[in-house]
Amino acid sequence: MLSPVPRTGLSETEVETVRSLLGREPTETEWAVIDAEWAEHSSYKSSKALLRLFPTSGPRVVLGPGYDAGVVDVGDGYVVTLHIESHNHPSAVDPYGGAATGIGGVLRDIISVGSRPIALLDVLRFGNPEQSAHSRWLLRNVVRGIADYGNCVGVPTVAGDIEFDKSFEKNCLVDVACVGVGRKGSIVLGEAKRPGDMIVLIGGSTGRDGVGGAAFASKNLAKGPESERTSVQVPDPFMKKLLLDALLEVAATKLLHGMKDLGGGGLSTALSEIASKGDTGADVELAKVRVREPNMTPREIMISESQERMLLVLGPEGSDAIFKILDRYEVPHATIGWVTKTGSLKLRWNGTMIADLPAKVVAEAPLITWGTRKPRSAGAGRKPREDGDIQGSLLRLLSSPNISSRRWVYEQYDHEVGLRTVLKPGTADAALLRLPNGSMLAVKADGNSRHSSLDPRRGGAGCVAEASRNVVAVGAEPLAVVDHLQFGDPSDEEVYWTFTETVEGMSEYCRGLPLPVVGGKVSFYNEDASTKQAIKPSPVAMVVGLLPASTARVGMGFGARGESVFVIGMTRAELGGSEYYEEVLGAKAGAVPLPDAKMDSRVYRAVMGLVRANLATAVHDCSKGGLGVAVAEMCIRGGLGVVVDLCEIPGEALSPSDALFSESHGRFIVSTKSAKKVSAILARSGVAFAQLGRTGGSTVKFARGQKTLAAFGVDAAIDAWENPISRLMQ
Amino acid sequence: MARLYTVKVVVANKEGASDPEGETVYRDLVSKSGFSKVKSIRTGKFLKVSVEAPDASSAKRIVQRMCDELRIYNPAAHSITVEV
Amino acid sequence: MSLESTTLPPTPSRLRCSSTRAKVAVVRFPGSNCDLDAVQALRTLDSVKADLVWHEEPTIGEYDAVVLPGGFSFGDYLRAGAIAARSPALERITAVADQGLPVLGICNGFQILIEAGLLPGALLRNASLRFVCRWVNVRVDNDSTSFTKNMKEGDVLHLPIAHNEGRFYASKEELATLNREGRVVFRYCDGDGHVSSSANPTGTLDNIAGISNKRGNVVGLMPHPERATEEVLSPFGDSDGSLIFKSMLGIE
Repeated sequence: MLSPVPRTGLSETEVETVRSLLGREPTETEWAVIDAEWAEHSSYKSSKALLRLFPTSGPRVVLGPGYDAGVVDVGDGYVVTLHIESHNHPSAVDPYGGAATGIGGVLRDIISVGSRPIALLDVLRFGNPEQSAHSRWLLRNVVRGIADYGNCVGVPTVAGDIEFDKSFEKNCLVDVACVGVGRKGSIVLGEAKRPGDMIVLIGGSTGRDGVGGAAFASKNLAKGPESERTSVQVPDPFMKKLLLDALLEVAATKLLHGMKDLGGGGLSTALSEIASKGDTGADVELAKVRVREPNMTPREIMISESQERMLLVLGPEGSDAIFKILDRYEVPHATIGWVTKTGSLKLRWNGTMIADLPAKVVAEAPLITWGTRKPRSAGAGRKPREDGDIQGSLLRLLSSPNISSRRWVYEQYDHEVGLRTVLKPGTADAALLRLPNGSMLAVKADGNSRHSSLDPRRGGAGCVAEASRNVVAVGAEPLAVVDHLQFGDPSDEEVYWTFTETVEGMSEYCRGLPLPVVGGKVSFYNEDASTKQAIKPSPVAMVVGLLPASTARVGMGFGARGESVFVIGMTRAELGGSEYYEEVLGAKAGAVPLPDAKMDSRVYRAVMGLVRANLATAVHDCSKGGLGVAVAEMCIRGGLGVVVDLCEIPGEALSPSDALFSESHGRFIVSTKSAKKVSAILARSGVAFAQLGRTGGSTVKFARGQKTLAAFGVDAAIDAWENPISRLMQ
Repeated sequence: MARLYTVKVVVANKEGASDPEGETVYRDLVSKSGFSKVKSIRTGKFLKVSVEAPDASSAKRIVQRMCDELRIYNPAAHSITVEV
Repeated sequence: MSLESTTLPPTPSRLRCSSTRAKVAVVRFPGSNCDLDAVQALRTLDSVKADLVWHEEPTIGEYDAVVLPGGFSFGDYLRAGAIAARSPALERITAVADQGLPVLGICNGFQILIEAGLLPGALLRNASLRFVCRWVNVRVDNDSTSFTKNMKEGDVLHLPIAHNEGRFYASKEELATLNREGRVVFRYCDGDGHVSSSANPTGTLDNIAGISNKRGNVVGLMPHPERATEEVLSPFGDSDGSLIFKSMLGIE
């Protein structure tokens, strides 16, 4: 008997699977619930199997992937929570609202495990701002959205990573990450474990926002305003602040049995997940949900993505105390149902049962294995011709959009609220925050889509390598990582090949360091519907690291004249995906830098040791633009010149451009007053290193033996680097 | 014969979309200050546009096109009213 | 009854057992987000007790000073500080201000004091139309207010600003009165104390960063002294913000 295929994003196979699992035809509401939860964005059906490759355990890991946030032990009964989210599709359509609600979403995840958010990070990808007014419009409004929301809620945005590349013109990427702190005993899970507990929906009212949202994120962006009509969500950071204050007080009562935020897929995903995780069921009366618009159907209520809503699970004995707190903050609440023993998600509409689904069937979408095929274009092209103008290239790199100063962006973010920000944006490679027990937490997020595009395995590993390096540069020991993986359409075999390579590369590096992955997100379908042009593969990693209380703060600016400058780590001829090749020469060729976890581990220990022993006066890692840009940046930040001899750089058969612009991983530039001591320590550390030169004067000079390759004033460097973005955004 | 028309444009969140500012002004200011007859408030941005046109409906068309093409409002999030 | 956050760090031990401790009320509105910071900063001072007081509490209580902290009270909806200014707390605050108690409005607190009529003028959107978060130099132009009496006119303080609407505006007459009565307390300046337009981060009138009432016991300022009470938090390595609090409480 032919049944009509319902209006969902499910494939024919999935539709048949649903019918056979249930043994009957689902109701309209049931189809909507399954559609929302089985959408890629909620179910991870195309990625879950591969994500099992990540190492997820470690001595400090309290909670790994699969929950609203990863949880890591930082000592003295405190834990740090971390999570990363994206809001790519809504931000392409409404950059202000999409970015703002993206911040709202990641904050909610950190709050929903019972921790206080203490820092935000933004990782953004746009098209070329020098050429595209559209990309400038997106950048301006995304930053404003993040600023307005984060500043209002009072969580500092302390670090980030912005990349510009043509491939993001039609599909910008807006990733936001959040770090929180809490007490180990107060962590709350998104589970409904006890039958008889109340299920309470709190926060904003439910409207038609994002009706179709989780499915929207998993579809290619359709053209035309009509189809976008109900897919944007309105941010309300004031409500979020009230929720945050109220929920922290509620979590401290220890009367809360479970908490889950409502994100993609709204009530459908939240209810099915808490029941599935708790091995229980839920019985919910949808007419009890506070609605904002007239005549909402139960289907709309179940898939609405209205912002600022949370689900609380509590015993009846705790409800008085909890409701009293909510009332004081004027946070609206409605008890919509109960936890049951049945394992079923039962939904009623004014008493009539309209859905009765096994929670686990809803929450566990069947996994999909897509085919892979290595693209013919992957890998190196022909090596480009170089004009030998090292100085011109270096200055050009300093003023390029991927390297020049981001001050225009971070001055719009309140990065000081909370009295925790010890190292502010623009000072060092990572942000540094104080924790309640006096220790300090370093945080940074990174990715490199140019590397990933040419060699996804190396590029994937490279994100973790770069973020770890940045954290180590301030002396912190990397503790954990969360990842965000962003690709095009998984049914495209070449796209899926890059996804597979990325995950394998990242997991291999994490195992080698070792560094546990405690959470993350996957976002597919980032491509332009009309041209089928997918974005460059864009994995991103956020690493957090720990530093003892007594450690001095070390930034990246050269501090004084006459100090010795060291390079630590090997440089190789790895110009593939480098800013030099791509920005200056327009070439996609060459070997992409290969991360070596075992060697990096030794280098990290050495650098951490130097910082903690107070022997380093400035530290900077080498990444975009290579060693040349790194050294120039240290001069710019410190307002001081340097003389560096490239002959000393550890590495084999390096041409001048290899030496200066290769983006090999695992390298740091360190300045010190105690050259002898530092040399002795490094000699014992099993790492490659060399003394390159000395600070002093007002010229940035790179020589190779007797030959000067580049020499320009620190002022000229500052001129090139300081204002390009703010000038573009005038 | 061209005249100078005054066209008023109001940009607001779409009907049915939430309006946190309006809701807060209503809930935390107006209804707590004894204005019980006031039932709801929505906020928006106001533009007063002076435009040269032969007649009122042309003036309205010009301004509507200006708002659409220059993204004075974002059709994904806002609705506008244009009045001469 | 005061509202205490359970995640506030414990009071440092050196503040215990002082019998003549100064008590400061930090008034919290829905949306205030620098309130915990203000309490924490005050607690770094010897012999100071700081309490969070919810804006709907019936009395301010027995305090030696009142601080209205920064943040986004009521989301900054309508106008920054406009809705908070109508809170019943402002009647209590006006009453204690009339008695001569020091009342300090920081950032959003300054906006609230203006909206409530305790200070003149208006605070408008920054000229750049963007939020600005950075450290600045601020010159003391009146060293006899409750918050600057430990300082000297001409002193330069290192303080951070972080706001969207910090451009002070007053009519010609109001400005003339403020200047004549010496009620401009702080101005943005360069590192040497020169008041110049390049040192003005927001286009604020006459580089004004903070003003006082006639009596000098009510002061509002846009910079955040509570973010500058610990050397480790300042890029200058000093703690200039505590000078303001110490003046407020008559501590050296």
